[in-house]
Amino acid sequence: MICQNGFNLEKGQNNNRMYQHDILIIGAGLAGLRAAVEGVRNGLNVAVISKVHPVRSHSNAAQGGINAPLVDRGDDWEDHAYDTIKGSDFLADQDAVEIMSREAGDAVIELERMGVIFSRGDDGKLGTRRFGGQKIARTFFVGAITGSAILHVLYEQALKYGLNIYEEWFVTKLIIVEGRCQGVVALDIKTGELHLIQAKAVIIAAGGAGRVFEPSTNALICTGDGIALAWNAGVPVMDMEMIQYHPTTLAGTGILMSEAARGEGAYLLNSKGERFMEKYAPDYMELASRDVVSRAEQTEIDEGRGIDGNVLLDLRHLGREHIESGLGYLQEVAVEFMGVDLAEQPIPIRPGMHYIMGGIKTDSDGATSINGLYAAGECANVSVHGANRLGANSLLDTVVFGRRAGAHAMKYVRDISETFIDEKYLTDERNRLQRMIENNGGERSAAVRNDMARSMTNGVGVFRDQNSMEKAIANMSDIMNRIPNVSIDRKGKIFNTDLVFALELEYMVNIAWSVVNAAITRQESRGAHFRTDITGRDDKNWLKHTLVFKDVNSENGVRVETTPVTITKWKPIERRY
Amino acid sequence: MKYAFFPGCVARGGTPELYDSATIVMERLQIETIELSTASCTGAGVLQEKNEKMGDILNVRTLALAEKLELPILVICSTCQGVISQANFRVQKDRKYLEEINGYLKDEGLEYKGTTKVKHLLWVIIEDIGIKKLKESFKTELKDVNFAPFYGCYIVRPSEVLEFTDNPGRENSLEQLIGAVGANVTKYSGRTACCGFPILFINQENSLKMVSNHTGSAKDSGADAIVTPCPLCHLNLDGYQPKARRKNRGDNADIPIIHVPQLVGLAMGIPETQLGLQKHVVSTKNFISSVTQKK
Amino acid sequence: MQVSMRVKRYDPELKENKSWWQGYKLGIHANATILDALIKIREEVDGSLALRCACRASICGSCGMRVNGRARLVCKTRLEEIIQKDGELNIEPLANHSVIRDLVVSVDSFFSKIKEITPYLTPKSEPVTGEFIASNESMENLLKSMNCIMCGVCVSDCTVLEVDKKFIGPAALAKAWRFVEDPRDDEKSQRISYLNDTEGGIWDCTRCMQCVEVCPKDVAPMDRIMEMRETAIRLGHKNSPGYRHSETFYRSVKKHGRLDETLLAISSAGWTNIPRLIDLIPIGFKALIRGKLPPIIPHKAEKKEAIKNIYVKVEKEDE
Repeated sequence: MICQNGFNLEKGQNNNRMYQHDILIIGAGLAGLRAAVEGVRNGLNVAVISKVHPVRSHSNAAQGGINAPLVDRGDDWEDHAYDTIKGSDFLADQDAVEIMSREAGDAVIELERMGVIFSRGDDGKLGTRRFGGQKIARTFFVGAITGSAILHVLYEQALKYGLNIYEEWFVTKLIIVEGRCQGVVALDIKTGELHLIQAKAVIIAAGGAGRVFEPSTNALICTGDGIALAWNAGVPVMDMEMIQYHPTTLAGTGILMSEAARGEGAYLLNSKGERFMEKYAPDYMELASRDVVSRAEQTEIDEGRGIDGNVLLDLRHLGREHIESGLGYLQEVAVEFMGVDLAEQPIPIRPGMHYIMGGIKTDSDGATSINGLYAAGECANVSVHGANRLGANSLLDTVVFGRRAGAHAMKYVRDISETFIDEKYLTDERNRLQRMIENNGGERSAAVRNDMARSMTNGVGVFRDQNSMEKAIANMSDIMNRIPNVSIDRKGKIFNTDLVFALELEYMVNIAWSVVNAAITRQESRGAHFRTDITGRDDKNWLKHTLVFKDVNSENGVRVETTPVTITKWKPIERRY
Repeated sequence: MKYAFFPGCVARGGTPELYDSATIVMERLQIETIELSTASCTGAGVLQEKNEKMGDILNVRTLALAEKLELPILVICSTCQGVISQANFRVQKDRKYLEEINGYLKDEGLEYKGTTKVKHLLWVIIEDIGIKKLKESFKTELKDVNFAPFYGCYIVRPSEVLEFTDNPGRENSLEQLIGAVGANVTKYSGRTACCGFPILFINQENSLKMVSNHTGSAKDSGADAIVTPCPLCHLNLDGYQPKARRKNRGDNADIPIIHVPQLVGLAMGIPETQLGLQKHVVSTKNFISSVTQKK
Repeated sequence: MQVSMRVKRYDPELKENKSWWQGYKLGIHANATILDALIKIREEVDGSLALRCACRASICGSCGMRVNGRARLVCKTRLEEIIQKDGELNIEPLANHSVIRDLVVSVDSFFSKIKEITPYLTPKSEPVTGEFIASNESMENLLKSMNCIMCGVCVSDCTVLEVDKKFIGPAALAKAWRFVEDPRDDEKSQRISYLNDTEGGIWDCTRCMQCVEVCPKDVAPMDRIMEMRETAIRLGHKNSPGYRHSETFYRSVKKHGRLDETLLAISSAGWTNIPRLIDLIPIGFKALIRGKLPPIIPHKAEKKEAIKNIYVKVEKEDE
């Protein structure tokens, strides 16, 4: 009965040893662990590599819930699919959305069976709350800690099946040989040693890139590593201009105040005490889709009806008991970080960068343009979120497509035999990192990152135009020139976070460069990409995804292409809330 | 200054010197008391392990008995303080629970309305009497004597239950008292640590390690004695000090454990025999002679 | 505001294998947290400082450290509050964990305890369709443990772990509670058996309330452990000294209204546990000659029938 110590991996200091697995998953958040559980409970040799301990993953920060249309309870999966597609401002690929909506119910039930302590209705079955962009309540939740609750249960399952975890290892390079992905080079942060890990398939599930912007709700670890790794290997990244600014982030710190508050009935007020959403989304009010709400708030602020650059989120009318039982984490954040008691006062909030709809282009099995390389979760773009993601759809995305990527990779690796990877991949990386460490007298990575993040938020913010984007491009060019000069204080090997930050900076710059180039390409406003100089949506010319490829032969290092959106049932119409 | 006095069980059993010294000191400070002779043992957290509700009923009964007299409760044991306060806290937070508990007290004609306060003698001295008035009752100073304050657990945790925010002086009440008698406080790692008493009969090895660590580090810090507001801490740190120190540090029991009223009594000039200082397992002889020498 | 602080550094790559205190002075905004200050040091002053942090919103559990001797999450501890109260700011890694470098500790020991308690749901079978049926009340009850973010703060300040590394510890026991209390789990009695019988199990907690005091998420691990003790007793586990201790206490108060200490000492040792009983003799003797042996006929509460009646009433209901 006692859990056998499932940790099979030898923490070898032997640099010559080749680690080998059937499937290697980069990232141990919801998508990564869900994919891993799929593989490991079917008996494959699966390993997960994560630069933080799995329970530190940013999936923790998802608060409000996970959507699922439960067909056996009278919900209609097509209704959820349509809400998602409308929410995406019709940029989502409808065939992928159909898959997600259809598989959602099973995905959520499966999580419950693994042990997630979802809230219940009076009948003892899963209970729901309402979330943005949807007319009916179909969001399943655990207080205001849904992401954390699911993450911890998936980690429990990982322990149950004895999943190998490279804990606090940082991937520095993907190894692509003979047109297929065969593994990675990774840094063991605790020892400072680089290693080769060979795998028949690699699934990237390393999350988003919030730190490219400032402020952001994202953790300090959200530096776009996975997206950049794939991009550097030649995989295109899709719709990178689609950056979601969450409407309710705390003034100052940018910490997330969950949409669940609005789902439970909270109001948004301007300096006059008005529920201003009446003007912008009379039907859905505070539960319109996030881009609509963020723009509404920004407009109120820009037009002088804000308070010190914020508006107010008001929960007072919900009453203390309701707040403390269903939204306990929000109360904790309000009290601890702002000294505000939500039962007594409204709290100042403003739009903050939260999620990147864009990411590694995949099909609905998580496969990318490179054989043996998959992606799932926030780092991937199937596309199910299109130009704007609905709240509570991200958690759904991670478990549905995490499972699918795991399942498809399982089939793929059956026909793959191992290939030997040349040690030169390792030596090249060792040399590269050594040069970075030895560099002296330059700037610290943090200074470069701060400049980049501020300039990205200014240039590619809630509202953008040709001017702001050109400025961002110019700034980013400068920033890219500063990269080779970045130097590191810490020269030692053990837990050299200084080195890790410098590596992350390079990834972030890749992301930023893709974002600005995609943004300046799209000649319309759609979803989160709102241009004050071209305010209309142009379905005739722009019902397309942008694709940014790394291109060493082009002058600016990228090549931007487009690809049409897949429409199945739902014709694009004007989006009103 | 009138209080409903609950002496607890140990003060009448294993630490009679605590009861004796407390009674004399309270008399000198003109603290009038009515003893709650029908009150039960608090359960000390141990009874609550078997049945928490039972413990709460017993303690709410004690609170109700005092409420009937319209007096706050005065205790001389930290564990009584902590356990009764926890019961008080639980019923204040959950009125339905209070109602349920009052149901068991009906037969005796008792009903707790939630107004009773519980204060350890240490807090009564610091808060209700005040250092100034306290010093007026002193006949002497314990100058150049070093004390290591050992709070133990129940009089400092959980700080929410013990109302530290509204009464910030409670966090360093022992230091204040030591300062008032003119003595010095030493800094050491055992200040708010656990004495190990609760696991004495369950995992003696761990319990003795704690006794050794805390008495040893107190001695290393230059203290002449440890002062503690809890007789259970006293029992463990005093009674088991010889065995604990021999086993874990290979040295002898060399630091006496003084009760709060004994400390106050010494400054009041009350003779050592009346304070029961000869009843300790770890001899207080050297400590007393150093105190008298330094007078 | 200007802040001075000291941070405990340690670098295993240095020749002298010792830790040292390093002082830092910096200017930072008034509302800043300790983590803000540490990040500022790392970004602008000394990039070699190693610490773990990620979410800065008290949800990931990375930034547990000791501040002036007490473990906390530094992302939600304000500089001003600490400096006003203590007058100084000293930061060290979590206690009871081995240090890797500076403020980074190894979490291997932490997670090995988690793994020990079978930390996943063990239902006998799954429902044919749909989810397990469970009341909302039962799920919300589990939030007490689910709120745990595995930050290690309770483990750092646990007074038992300080002297005994075999103790399972507050975090793992709080997690064990979550499965004991989960109505969907079918191994409640096996789990309780294990936690009751194993070395370092539920009876090794010394009830010092440190974990309750320091937990940043109100998990109150000690309360969870106490609940498991109550459950163990109810399920009939009577073979531990902890049980005997609690049972004797309970009965003594029932009989006398007060505690019979002598009986407690003997009964907790176990009437047939000769070595243990012999162990009690020296201390008993010392107490006797000092005049502090508890009376053979214990002190009683007056009108103790009222107390007995309450017992009778409660016990009747429990049947």
